Amino acid sequence: MINKKAERLFGAAIVLYLLIIIFPFIWVFLTSLKPESEIWGAGAFKILADQPTFEHYEALFRGNILNALKNSLIISTITTTYVTMVAAIAAYAIARLKFVGKRLILAIVLATSMFPQITVVGPIYQLFVKLNWTNSYFISLPYSMIALPVAIYILVIHFNKVPKEMEESAKIDGASKMKTFTDIILPLALPGIFTAAIITFISVWNEFLLALTLNPDSSYHTATVAITFLRGQFQIFWGQVTAATVVVTIPTLIIVILFQRQIISGLTSGAVKE
Amino acid sequence: MRKMNAWLDHHLGYVLVIPALIFIILFSLWPVAQSTRFSFFDFQLNDQQKSGLYFTEQYNLKLMHETFDYIDYYLEIEKDTVKQSSTQERIQDTQQEILEIYESIQAMFPGQTGIVSINDQEHEFLVKASDQVLAGLEALYRIEDDFNLQEDIMMVASELETSIIQPNYVGLKNFQSVLRDPRVWQTIRVTLFFTSISVGMELVFGLILALIMNKAMIGRGLIRTFSLIPWAIPTSVAALMWAYLYNGSSGIVALILARVGIVEQATDLMLTSSSALWSIIFADVWKTTPYFALLLLAGLQVIPDSLYESAMLDGANKWKQFLHITLPLLKPSILVALLFRTLDAFRIFDLIWVLTGGGPGGTTESISIYGYKVMFAQTRFGYGAAIILVMALCVGVISYLYIKFLDIQLISD
Repeated sequence: MINKKAERLFGAAIVLYLLIIIFPFIWVFLTSLKPESEIWGAGAFKILADQPTFEHYEALFRGNILNALKNSLIISTITTTYVTMVAAIAAYAIARLKFVGKRLILAIVLATSMFPQITVVGPIYQLFVKLNWTNSYFISLPYSMIALPVAIYILVIHFNKVPKEMEESAKIDGASKMKTFTDIILPLALPGIFTAAIITFISVWNEFLLALTLNPDSSYHTATVAITFLRGQFQIFWGQVTAATVVVTIPTLIIVILFQRQIISGLTSGAVKE
Repeated sequence: MRKMNAWLDHHLGYVLVIPALIFIILFSLWPVAQSTRFSFFDFQLNDQQKSGLYFTEQYNLKLMHETFDYIDYYLEIEKDTVKQSSTQERIQDTQQEILEIYESIQAMFPGQTGIVSINDQEHEFLVKASDQVLAGLEALYRIEDDFNLQEDIMMVASELETSIIQPNYVGLKNFQSVLRDPRVWQTIRVTLFFTSISVGMELVFGLILALIMNKAMIGRGLIRTFSLIPWAIPTSVAALMWAYLYNGSSGIVALILARVGIVEQATDLMLTSSSALWSIIFADVWKTTPYFALLLLAGLQVIPDSLYESAMLDGANKWKQFLHITLPLLKPSILVALLFRTLDAFRIFDLIWVLTGGGPGGTTESISIYGYKVMFAQTRFGYGAAIILVMALCVGVISYLYIKFLDIQLISD
């Protein structure tokens, strides 16, 4: 009897929790369908629009948002590709090979993951101005600062999980270390590499500070920055802002639904000791 | 070939970490070192005399060349406007005089361009030269005639003195100013308040949620997917969403809070400092608690059931089980999550930038926001770097305290 009650209480708590998470999205989505006249005044607090419209989405797509999404996609893809490759080989070396200075390197990697981004943004901005790299896809390079340490960290933990016996038998067969890595370890570690790639992609897609500073020109805005510029100086077009929120959230939503397991494994790889 | 393979086999560790190291050096270590250098200079991009890092006195050759060009150009125009031919001759003479000074300066820096270092002797000479030019021009303008450009020429000529750049190395002065800057202390207070309250709430709610999720029989996948969404969406998007919900005229959350009586009027929410700060905290708690819960849930799931079963046999109740089994075994997960969340919260930028921009009246400004404004709105990169370094120092102290006293192990061997 008591268990039944507790179960119901748990159920209610979970439903409440899910509602709190989802409510802002739903409300924002409903607003994006209201015509301008219903966004202000009494209509603002009605759940459903009297005259639902796609006008805000149309206005949005006439603007900069598609270009910004394209920029985000290109920058995130470039960064994810090279960061994952660089991190994979470095993590393998740190996890499996013996060499002097390994601990120091790992310490540096962990320390840089704790640096606030704002400590690097000034000098990197000036470097970019000097090289004429502002407003370009070169921003992918300094993104290594936010993505590389995390990717290395996730991958070191994954490589540590690959059984050592595989390598030892390859060694007996006379394979070089490089061959052992590419032919035996890498295929086994693919799920881990994929996890690191997803986490990298999301963190770069979401980055704001460097994107705001290094790509101030609207033609090179990323989605995260472009959406904040929808608020004009004197007037806020909430219709377009909410429509943009919906549009920018959709890619994230798809990634989360498709790769839920990988994301959780990446997020928790540091937090759990097995 | 074989030799190379053997070499590669032997040094493979280094070969494989070098690319990562190059990126870390270029985009993490070098910028931090550079920021440290900036912090010792009065380095301001919008001030011609301070837009570089100068230990010694410098001379701006480019500005000097431009200045002489302009003076000559203006005098040429004056020659056409004046009435008397005697004045024209005087202008001619002054031009000649100035040209000689120009050539003598040029002779000092053969083949050099841009900004060059100068010694005391050169300094004296350059000051004298610029005085001579000014004196020559002043003498010219004492003549009564229809001059047109006196003010312009004198202003341009004063650039000759500006070409002499004083060293802007200030040692620790920027740090002294940081410590005396009330806005720094205000932003540190705001940042600490935000960090402790939001991380504290995230820990408590996250733990409760993790315990509930761990017991949930149905819909685990759904709960996990939902929990990931707030974490996965960009902070700027979440901030805009909350900006809409909080806005005074059409925001539903603002309306509800006003109805409940937490704020007097819906419009007050973002316009009074304490409620604006709490709004930021709530948005952060909304975005991060689910993530915190997922981290703790993963920790809970590796606690073996057998421990609880034997505790039950010993007659321990649920509360005792929580205190003596769950909490101690979950401690490593909690500490790692706390460390990363604290560091993340301490450097908060995006959420505040988009939600309030630091307002109303700078009362929700975090230290990151203030440092950013000093650097990119006032272009005072030296002082901004000092603010940021003080903040980085705080981050270092926080990590050190966590790792030392709470005994966090980030990677187990």
